[in-house]
Amino acid sequence: MKILILGAGAIGGYVGGRLHQSGADVTFLVRDKRNEALKRDGLVIRSTKGDITQMVKTVAKASEGGPYDVVLLTCKAYDLDSAIDAIAPAISANTTIVPLLNGMRHIDVLADKFGDAKVVGGLARVGVAMNDKGEILHTSPFAAISFGERDGKPARAALAELDAAIKKSGIDGGLNANIVQDLWDKWIMLCTLAATCCLMRGASGDILEADEGRAIVLETVDEGRKVAAAAGHDPGDKGMATIRSFLTVKGSKFTASMLHDLEKGAMVEADHIVGDMIARAKKTGIATPNLRMAYAHLQVYLARRAGKRA
Amino acid sequence: MKVLILGAGAVGGYWGARLHQSGTDVTFLLREKRAEKVRKEGLVVKSPKGDAVLPVKVVTKGSEGGPYDIVVLACKAYDLDSAIESIAPAVGKDTTIVPMLNGHAHFAILDKKFGTEKVAGGLARISGMLGPNGEILHSGASGVSFGERDGKPARKTLLDLDAACRKAGIEGGINPNINQDLWDKWIMLATIAGMCASMRGTVGDIMETEDGAAIVAETLEESCKIATAEGHAPSANVLAGLKTMLTTKGSKAVASILGDMEKGGPAEGKQIVGDMLGRARKAGIAAPNLRFAYTHLQAYEARRARGGLK
Repeated sequence: MKILILGAGAIGGYVGGRLHQSGADVTFLVRDKRNEALKRDGLVIRSTKGDITQMVKTVAKASEGGPYDVVLLTCKAYDLDSAIDAIAPAISANTTIVPLLNGMRHIDVLADKFGDAKVVGGLARVGVAMNDKGEILHTSPFAAISFGERDGKPARAALAELDAAIKKSGIDGGLNANIVQDLWDKWIMLCTLAATCCLMRGASGDILEADEGRAIVLETVDEGRKVAAAAGHDPGDKGMATIRSFLTVKGSKFTASMLHDLEKGAMVEADHIVGDMIARAKKTGIATPNLRMAYAHLQVYLARRAGKRA
Repeated sequence: MKVLILGAGAVGGYWGARLHQSGTDVTFLLREKRAEKVRKEGLVVKSPKGDAVLPVKVVTKGSEGGPYDIVVLACKAYDLDSAIESIAPAVGKDTTIVPMLNGHAHFAILDKKFGTEKVAGGLARISGMLGPNGEILHSGASGVSFGERDGKPARKTLLDLDAACRKAGIEGGINPNINQDLWDKWIMLATIAGMCASMRGTVGDIMETEDGAAIVAETLEESCKIATAEGHAPSANVLAGLKTMLTTKGSKAVASILGDMEKGGPAEGKQIVGDMLGRARKAGIAAPNLRFAYTHLQAYEARRARGGLK
């Protein structure tokens, strides 16, 4: 099985690095500059599960090195359009696309472009970052990806093979029969966390210190739940309890990575994580006053950022 | 007439400087460090209406240099408690206190401490800030108004102060409508401070977003409803003016509280937004946008108290 990974950033670099290390046939599709650096220095992983520096296969064009059985998409949501252009030449009749993006919108976009059957669901839970030297820093104890058929049917051969490769690589997760619901659950959690941390410019614990912080967080979770339910993916009481308890830990320093991006002046996945939730709510007549406020905050940020760059 | 001014920031410093220059007997009540600097270097004013370096009278205790006919309170609202302690020895039987603070919360506190009859209403429209060397950087408006809160004819000390202001080239002076003007200004401030703080941008930045204009207009309406419930509805004219000012595309108008927050300093969130929200609760008025804004301000204080996001 041949795997193409778009991006050798934090998640793509870590997952691809471990797959390569354990013998999978992995190729990284990277931009010229990153390509040069990888050819010169190799792919460097510093991890709680062991450091490694290894030479990996790279291509600058997806037309090279194929055909590929699986394409793993690990870009940021705001780079989706250019990522689609980049991977298009690598997609053949038998290729399966496994996107590891947050949110849901990218799935529709990919299905539109490449056909519904080629696109499966994928979810990454890897606590990892990339430093300015291009090294992958995996500092957390967890590293998991999961993927599966979006219609819940038995997994195609390519996914079963990917599952075997993932297990061999020491990454947790693998085949997930419940991938679409898991994607929704994670999106509700992430959307609430990003919306509230950004709107309030604080960690979870800071928000909970405010008189009505907890109420606002819980209302925001409910806004996401209603949107999910309208799509036929209510997380259920148990799923909701998990999300709520995660977001309401007093004193928690837990914060959305979007807030870090925003305080660095970086691009943020505002449209994908918060805007798309609001768009779906509007279509089904669901009121989302809290998300609306958060999205306005994010749009102000983007307007200021654009102004500074202009 | 002897005037004591607590604080030599933009408002107290500029006003006091002009009074001093035109021959009024002005004394500044300052903290040790500020007092030392002003004693050594003089009070430095840079203004389109003329720069000056003035050897003003300075005390560090309210018990010195009195008795005073007028005590001007030109501190930030969050410093009110310590300001009250400082001025207490300067307040005699015939002293009139003229507070220049934003919001309305300080009146109940001052009334309780010194007696209602001693406390007049005061309102500053002086634009400026302190420079890095403690110099007063005056940038435009230079108006101050004051008057009896019950709307009765002004007492003699206020008439004297009015005459001194005219001599000093300070606009405004006696204001028979001070209480309503204070409310009008507070309505404006609660809206602009609430919005600029919680959205982290100027009025113009907020207007760049899909719902920004609607959100600001709603917030203004919330504040108006609260003022109305307190018996201080703004006139249709005032309201129209505020609405225009707060929803002008491309406007660079911004609340000074945002500057305070972006520097990591203390912010008058409780007095400007929190107290407005508190009054909404008492009157049974829904104020969802002020609620978001105040939660933002409280999360800001929580984060500031623990020293950052880490």
